Amino acid sequence: MGELVEFIVRSRNFILFLLLEVICFYFIINTNNYWSASFFNTSNAYAAQMLTWSNSVQAYTRLRDVNAELAAENRKLHEELTRLQQGHPVAPTAYQADTVFANRFAYKVAKVTNNTTQYANNYITIDKGTDDGIQPGMGVISPTGVVGRVKLCSANFSVVTSILHSEFRVSSKLIRAADIGTAKWDGVDPHQMKLLDISRYKPVYKGDSVVTSEHNSVFPPGILVGRVRTIGVQPNMTFHDITIDLSTNFSNLSFVYVVNNKLRQEQEQLEKQIENEK
Amino acid sequence: MIRCLITTMTLREITNLVFLFLLYLLLQILILRNVVLFDYAFCFVYIAGILLLPPQINRSAFLLISFFTGVIVDTFYNTLGMHAAATVLIAYVRPLILRTQVDLPGQEQRQVLSLNELGFNKFFRYTILLALIHHTTLFTIEASSLTLLVPTLIRIAASTLFTTICIVLIQFFTRN
Repeated sequence: MGELVEFIVRSRNFILFLLLEVICFYFIINTNNYWSASFFNTSNAYAAQMLTWSNSVQAYTRLRDVNAELAAENRKLHEELTRLQQGHPVAPTAYQADTVFANRFAYKVAKVTNNTTQYANNYITIDKGTDDGIQPGMGVISPTGVVGRVKLCSANFSVVTSILHSEFRVSSKLIRAADIGTAKWDGVDPHQMKLLDISRYKPVYKGDSVVTSEHNSVFPPGILVGRVRTIGVQPNMTFHDITIDLSTNFSNLSFVYVVNNKLRQEQEQLEKQIENEK
Repeated sequence: MIRCLITTMTLREITNLVFLFLLYLLLQILILRNVVLFDYAFCFVYIAGILLLPPQINRSAFLLISFFTGVIVDTFYNTLGMHAAATVLIAYVRPLILRTQVDLPGQEQRQVLSLNELGFNKFFRYTILLALIHHTTLFTIEASSLTLLVPTLIRIAASTLFTTICIVLIQFFTRN
């Protein structure tokens, strides 16, 4: 008996080693049993918490790629959306939009490389130019709303006239009031714009959405411009004095979509013929 | 075990050791878990925490520490038991490797296992041998049959090299 105890004491490490290995292999073989499946794996609350935390840190390193992918995906969805909307407009049933008209808008993703908001006439530089099929006159929108219109193009860059420009006007529509006016920047606050030419006999509601109207060849209809902030009355005028909050925050503009209306030239050429008669 | 350690180490050395041990473990779990070179080379740097524990540590305690380290790593790899088995094995054979490869001068003298104390040659041999044993066990268990023999062998060789290089590099940078 004494010898046995002495043997166990002497080789206790070997016995412990064997015991631990047996436990390990028991785990390996029974890895699907309930106890281990519910605790010793990454679904364990502590382990999962730790991995979530670690992933949230790692996610930052991948943001650049993720942003680019999302912008590309948005471009595709935008194109699809305008095609569907233009293919089935709110119109009498007799009206059929032909596919050329419905497909007239094409989108391209670009990244903003330079941007001002503090001047009276602001411009934005984007990293796509004529090599990517960008031409002066195309519209530019952001994920949150209207941005501007391409003014100049080089091979790899383009300068965009921001809607924060004293000469820029966007034909816009109030959704609830169903009236069309012109949005224009008054040069004061880069977060606000004026909406002109809305008749004072139309009821206008605070918070009503202002979107691009059908009456322009640059932007697809229905792109958000902003929301009504204040409604006043201009003295001696028949129009409302409306201030809108811009939906796009121009100070942190990152990815934008350049909109190419393939029928714009045709439309403008046709309209130019009656220009002189006006 | 703690009494045994305290007789030979200062408190500062112990906290240092615990800190490094946890650091290796966190490094493994949070970062190196996602690092695989060329689909073959994995890095299991957490074994450095085991390898660098002082040689005079109580062997039973050492086996238990290794076991729990393995279980923690297994939890994050969803491979319950595999890392634990490999880690317990290297913990058990470590004294043998120390005796034959590193030939520690006398058990009474306090000895720290580090690149500085052992020199590059001994340290590299010690690390690569134990890493080889660990990875061989791990990947053999994982493959659990001989059908994928060649990929498993490549994996063992590549991972052993990768892990060893990582451990030696970390030693280079944490000399002080």
